[in-house]
Amino acid sequence: MKNPYDVLGVASTASSTDIQKAYRKLAKTLHPDLNPGDKAAEEKFKEAAGAYDLLSDGEKRKRFDAGEIDASGTERPQHHFYRDFATSDDGHPYTDNTGFADFMDSDDAFAELLKRSQRARADRRGEDLHYRLPIEFVESITGANKRLALPDGGTLDVKIPPGLIDGQVLRLKGKGAPGAGKGGPGDALIEVEVLADSRFTRDGDDILLELPISLSEAVLGGRIRVPTPVGDVTMSVPKGSNTGTTLRLKGKGAPRRGRARGDELVKLKIVLPKSPDPELNAFVSNWIKGKEFNPREGSSS
Amino acid sequence: MIMSKHAFLTSSGVEAQMLEFWIEQQWLIPTQTDAELSFSDTDVARAHLIRDLKGVFGINDEGVDVILHLVDQLHGLRRALATLNPSLSSSP
Repeated sequence: MKNPYDVLGVASTASSTDIQKAYRKLAKTLHPDLNPGDKAAEEKFKEAAGAYDLLSDGEKRKRFDAGEIDASGTERPQHHFYRDFATSDDGHPYTDNTGFADFMDSDDAFAELLKRSQRARADRRGEDLHYRLPIEFVESITGANKRLALPDGGTLDVKIPPGLIDGQVLRLKGKGAPGAGKGGPGDALIEVEVLADSRFTRDGDDILLELPISLSEAVLGGRIRVPTPVGDVTMSVPKGSNTGTTLRLKGKGAPRRGRARGDELVKLKIVLPKSPDPELNAFVSNWIKGKEFNPREGSSS
Repeated sequence: MIMSKHAFLTSSGVEAQMLEFWIEQQWLIPTQTDAELSFSDTDVARAHLIRDLKGVFGINDEGVDVILHLVDQLHGLRRALATLNPSLSSSP
């Protein structure tokens, strides 16, 4: 901590009037609001103000001279200077352009630049605001109307178009931050996250589904109900279907603008009853052909 | 940050009576919302400047009036210069 007398540039015998004079002289050139272009002014001004706080108080000055206190602890609490706000872009009622109004009256290039910059400030378009919106997989295929809760307490109605892809960004015109003058508001940009589904996955415009079937449905064939994002449909399983057999449901996939809908691809998976059935056990034990069949034949393992 | 009159008086250290005079002089222009005045951080910083002018510099009310007018013009110019800067450096 510097000696406060040195900071103000006065002798230790200076009168309180001299101290005040010295401080005012320094403050004139160091006050950040009166010298907005001087970046170093703030630190130096704080130092001078701290020194003045100490020396202008007769009691504190006496104690400092006697060596009872030092110059530390005289720092003023942090405060923001007006210059930090004065040229900010968000507009305040104190802006005054009369200082250069006459320049703008002429026809030269400089006047044109000034006018353009002023118009740009006056008619500033509002900012785009970014949001995230998670939706269910089924909603991404069928489309949906969602309501987004905004941080400021408001809501935003969002129409999810059918066939939307994970990560797609929807732009709501004019739903962003308000603009200034004729600038108009910005847009709301909503990044839509499609949540994973326990049944469906997406591959391009096709939807993949793994569907468990019973052994008898696989061997004998039959009609079964299959879920799709737009509701259940009936599908026939051909006789002798196997795990991995993939059946195609035409037009039950994701819609695409200007193109036919994708398909739903149903991959069958044979599932045996949970508890071992003695009848099935007996049949398989006596089924010679079944024992002779080796599905791994010809594979490398 | 937008604050009420009470919060403004606390954070700026200005007395209520003084504030009324300052608003009358249009040294401060708070926003009128419903029946209440609301103040911004800009207003607080400006109040600090006015307090410094009157306290540190010992300037009387007429002087403060003149200085604020000049300071506002100075900042208007600085703002214009700041927005001009990119267009000037991009021109040949």
